[in-house]
Amino acid sequence: MAGIYIYSDNNEIAAEIIGFAKRVGKEAVLLAFDEKTAEVMGNSGADKIYLLNGESELVESYAKAVAELLQKEEAELFAVGSTARGRELAARAAGYLDCALVSDVSALSYADGWFLAERMMYGGLVQQRESLDGLGVVTVPGGKFDPVTGNAEVISMAVQADRRVSLVETAPIVRQGADLSQADKVVCVGMGLDKEEDLETARALAEAIGAEIACTRGIAEERHWLPAELYIGISGAVIKPKLYVSLGVSGQIQHIFGIRDSQLIVGIDTNERAPIFKAADYGIVGDLYEIVPLLTDALKKQTIDRPE
Amino acid sequence: MSKVVACYKWVADEADLRIDADLSVDFSRVKGKISDYDKNAIAEAVNIATAWGEKAVGLTFGTAKAKQSVKDALSRGLEEGYWINADEAADADGAAVAKALAAVIQRIDDVGLVVCAEGASDTFARQVPSRIGAVLDWPVVTSVMKIEIAGNGLMTVRRLDDCMQTVKVQLPAVIAVLPEINTPPIPGLKAVMAAAKKPVHEFKGGDLGINFTPKTKAVEFKGYVMARKNVIFKEGEAADKVRELAAALRKEGVL
Repeated sequence: MAGIYIYSDNNEIAAEIIGFAKRVGKEAVLLAFDEKTAEVMGNSGADKIYLLNGESELVESYAKAVAELLQKEEAELFAVGSTARGRELAARAAGYLDCALVSDVSALSYADGWFLAERMMYGGLVQQRESLDGLGVVTVPGGKFDPVTGNAEVISMAVQADRRVSLVETAPIVRQGADLSQADKVVCVGMGLDKEEDLETARALAEAIGAEIACTRGIAEERHWLPAELYIGISGAVIKPKLYVSLGVSGQIQHIFGIRDSQLIVGIDTNERAPIFKAADYGIVGDLYEIVPLLTDALKKQTIDRPE
Repeated sequence: MSKVVACYKWVADEADLRIDADLSVDFSRVKGKISDYDKNAIAEAVNIATAWGEKAVGLTFGTAKAKQSVKDALSRGLEEGYWINADEAADADGAAVAKALAAVIQRIDDVGLVVCAEGASDTFARQVPSRIGAVLDWPVVTSVMKIEIAGNGLMTVRRLDDCMQTVKVQLPAVIAVLPEINTPPIPGLKAVMAAAKKPVHEFKGGDLGINFTPKTKAVEFKGYVMARKNVIFKEGEAADKVRELAAALRKEGVL
């Protein structure tokens, strides 16, 4: 069956992509690899759910089988949630199909028989729009579309897995810090901090305003002062808090990529020419060690004084 | 065991890009570099080859400008450099890049493993390693933060969005590594000198029998500028600047 074929290991993103498919008037076919997902997604508005049964626990191992299915069904688009599993499945399927793949789209639309996708390049400095002709693949981050409702018909089919990769063990992620993607306020430290003990100054500010602590890639991967999951940037966490405050962050574009959806950006740094100030709503040029304790004090009072 | 190929990309250093007032992108002052994340891939390829007692070699696909990358790559512990010289590389998409890299991987004797970064620092599309695997029909493991040798295969640890996975993979395979997998050493003077003497193999894009036409049509390519208030307090006493900022944050209602 022609239409938009959809997969995500994140059910919310899958539901959002189904919403997109229905809104542009296409058939929506959801691929599920386990019965539970097929059941949970039964009322997500998809026309059909293909329940693919095979011998591997790794969804990515079905890339070739999925590519063959898409071709056989004459799919118009394979839209996949942009998670680690989704990205791999999408790119391997695109490789087997030798077709287009636009990854991590910032926007996706359909008009006059063409899908039009937008994505960021060069760490968010450049925006590119591309049109897809014929079967193509896109990966879609969460929050781009609204879900719909409606019952789906579930169709089971057997698929072959690539057995050369096998799952040995699954372990939960042991978080050493907060889940930054959900944080309401974030205080971020950068290489402008002189020594590890100075993190306490940043923590005091974070505590005063109820923020999570985060850092730049350099702090996590060169100095190892904070765990890797707390660095913000294109290869790290991408956040969307109400308030982001940076301390001693120069604002390289890879970092800015991770904060661009913040509601309000505040930068504090000694270097007046630091790029962070171009990306900031508010900023203070000055010595961190003088500014941050004063700010902590001022905001602590405001938070306490504020009527509930 | 067999050879390890590290794939890398010679990219425009995004720090040199300028966005003009009309949102056009100015590449005129741009210098090239080996994509930052690819340095992790090269270091990991060298580590595994060393453990196997085998050779790690480098492979890149680019325009004539990419030639200058080879010596840099070789100074990072690779034994031989392979590079594909193609004018088409300027506009190539993930499909073309993967096919070109795979074509040369097939021409190198006895490759057991291909190591890539997840994505390059210019496009960060994170699709080439998976596509190489598909073109070669080899198994692929992405999002890898740790690799251990396990008999005739590899044991890898993947960091996914919702869990960690330990995954065993048979060889030959393609692996995409996360930047946290290692800290690439900065090459010393001796390594830089030695790099000049290592063998370099050049391939011409036209000899690989690949159609380089991109699969999508780029309809727009322009600078992106965030609309921000840019209210910066820079003059006066620290206490005054803090007072002004605190007042602004209260007014914005974000506290």
